[in-house]
Amino acid sequence: MSRSNKMFGDKAFDLLKDLKRSAQTIPAFDDDGVRQVLEEIKAIFEENVAQASSYNSSGDRSLWPLLNYRHAALQRNKRCLLAYLYERMQRIKALRWEFGPIIPGDIKQALCEPEVQFFNNYSKSLAAYMRSVGDGQGIDLTGNLRPPKSLYIEVRCVEDYGKFELDDGEVVHLKKNSQHYLPRAQVETLVRQGILQHIA
Amino acid sequence: MFIQDLKNDFYRQLISKRILIIVNYDVDAICASKILQSLFKYDHMLYTVVPIMGVTGLRRAYNEHQGDVKYVLLVNCGGCVDIVELLQPTEDVTFYICDSHRPLDVCNVYSDRQVCILGDPALEENIPAFESIFYDSDGEDEDDDDNEEEDEAGADSGAGESDGEGDGESGEREQPARRKLSRLERHEQRVLRQRARRQWELERDRIMFDYTQFSYYGRSSALQIFELAWKLSKDNMDLLWWAIVGISEQLLLGKIESGAYTLELEHIQSHVSRLTNKTNDQNTMSASKINFENDLHLVLYRHWTVTESMRYSRYSACQLKLWTLRGEKRLHELLVEMGLPLVHARQTYSAMDLVLRKEFYTMVEQLAEKYSIPDIVYGTFTLSFGYRSRYAAADYVYALLAILQSIKKHKTPEDCFMEASDALTRQHKQLLNAGIDNAKLLHAAIFRQVQSCLEAHQVHSTGSFFYYVLQEEHAFFSYPYALALLAKFVLHGHVATTRARQAPDLPLIATCPLDAAQGMCLLVGIAPVREDSPKNFFGKAFDQAAQKSKTSLLQDFFEPSIVQLRQSDLTRFLDALTVLLT
Repeated sequence: MSRSNKMFGDKAFDLLKDLKRSAQTIPAFDDDGVRQVLEEIKAIFEENVAQASSYNSSGDRSLWPLLNYRHAALQRNKRCLLAYLYERMQRIKALRWEFGPIIPGDIKQALCEPEVQFFNNYSKSLAAYMRSVGDGQGIDLTGNLRPPKSLYIEVRCVEDYGKFELDDGEVVHLKKNSQHYLPRAQVETLVRQGILQHIA
Repeated sequence: MFIQDLKNDFYRQLISKRILIIVNYDVDAICASKILQSLFKYDHMLYTVVPIMGVTGLRRAYNEHQGDVKYVLLVNCGGCVDIVELLQPTEDVTFYICDSHRPLDVCNVYSDRQVCILGDPALEENIPAFESIFYDSDGEDEDDDDNEEEDEAGADSGAGESDGEGDGESGEREQPARRKLSRLERHEQRVLRQRARRQWELERDRIMFDYTQFSYYGRSSALQIFELAWKLSKDNMDLLWWAIVGISEQLLLGKIESGAYTLELEHIQSHVSRLTNKTNDQNTMSASKINFENDLHLVLYRHWTVTESMRYSRYSACQLKLWTLRGEKRLHELLVEMGLPLVHARQTYSAMDLVLRKEFYTMVEQLAEKYSIPDIVYGTFTLSFGYRSRYAAADYVYALLAILQSIKKHKTPEDCFMEASDALTRQHKQLLNAGIDNAKLLHAAIFRQVQSCLEAHQVHSTGSFFYYVLQEEHAFFSYPYALALLAKFVLHGHVATTRARQAPDLPLIATCPLDAAQGMCLLVGIAPVREDSPKNFFGKAFDQAAQKSKTSLLQDFFEPSIVQLRQSDLTRFLDALTVLLT
């Protein structure tokens, strides 16, 4: 083998390590890596099938350990792939809580098609659940997971936004580098979107 | 209109309203706005803080927020310009001005509702009386109408109104008599009236000139706002410290006389002891403590080495002439006499021997007379919190100034402002420390510049003032505060070395190219050394010189003694100024 130092399962392991190391909220779906692992699994499986059939015909038991070893490698690859997908799923769920029902553009690019579907479904069920609780009025569970210390927060504008109307009709002009003291509930989304910066 | 009772007439009016705070770029203003912000936070009042630089910035900031806000507070800006005319606000907008720049614009002073100045009119000097500068414009209009009518027809109907200035009753009684006056007499009266009017105008111009001739500074805005906080019983150690930083800036930049500073010290001291007794936080880690102590006018010496701090401080350097070899020797002499080993003097102060550190102040104080640096001692406050953090008010001021000046390509002035206001809070110690490091660089650069300037005799005299021209754009000196610090150092250094007898009486003008692409340069005027009061006449002088030489001057800063000028106009402008001041 040309890649003599590569062992079975290395690729799958790399996949997981990359995911763990990535600093972003969610790294791009590693299409290539997943495909390679799948190919490896397939190759192992085919070799095993070929040898198993030869064992059937000849009854040579000397290949038993090799067969078992291959099978273990195959299982491991499978576990790694599942772990990869599961971890990504967890992160996608977290996205929903963090960013709300609409995924920001740059993050959307990192997801693959089935993942986007999952996100939408998850979002839908969460929304349906939130509507159902809270005495028929619904309650926004994503709002404050921890009770806020004060009703107002001090924010600094990081980029130009323009006029922003508060619930009581006050219009605030959000311009870069201005500092404001505003009701927490109303500007929370802007803070999440990165337009405002919360000053502790 | 002045507001004396800040609590009832200012703060209570604003509660539950939204307010726009426009803050000038200086340390005092930042401190004042920080105090205000925490007050507003306590009362859950929505506010917006916008930092601005100069008059154009003020106008832009107001226009952006126009219509949304009804209450605007100007901190350290806007007092010296006619706000109503500058911003053209709608009737329902109210401006509160908290400005330490003087003289205040008379239109602001006599505005009856729209412009409110926070402060005590008793403290203001010689504001001209209303009657002597404002003419009843209604009377004027009638006068004009009257003239036209008379010219047209000379009919009796117009004559009745000609007495527009007199009050109603006497006017009516005089009417029949008036009617009989001949056309000639009426004409005579009009001439007389015009002459009186002209005289009055001359007198008004004189009064206004006297009033606006000098620019100077009043009470620190931060201190004023702190007193509001105190009256609202919402003061605490942090607010007090910010007020102290605000007033220290005024002292260190020479904005107020040391006498005024000493008077304020007493007030502050009483606040300090009151608050210290009030807080029962005994935990060393979290408690902050403010101490009054006599300190030395040495730049950042707690965070630097003793030799460097002595060399880079204006006062000690100029008295000992530390840029010369002899000065260096004298410094060593001083150190020897103090008993401070060179090894210790050359390492960071905090690493010095504890005994030496404790005795450092007394050692310098004892020898101050002998080495003719008696004014090196002044009273100030130090803030200590945690186990290691101990800062003098001056350290804060220098650090904040350095942060304010640290404008770079990717760092806009607004970023610097925000950083400076962050550095004031105790949680952001690393910002402050970075600022202190920056300040060291700045002071070292100033000293080197002074040294090279004095060695090369670059300070020229025109007979009535000195001038010093920096030829190249400089990373530090293209900003107003740094240039002013440099100019002051140069002037004091030059006076210390020169033999000319009238040198201490002459002011200095320093210029530095601002932006090579636009060909603008920055011009700073510094009052003479011997002049005790920090009053600066350059604002008016610049204005007049510009008019005489027909150069366009950009007086955008709120400090009138700092202006911008086209580089090509510089010589013409200086010539005009020479003529004007001789």
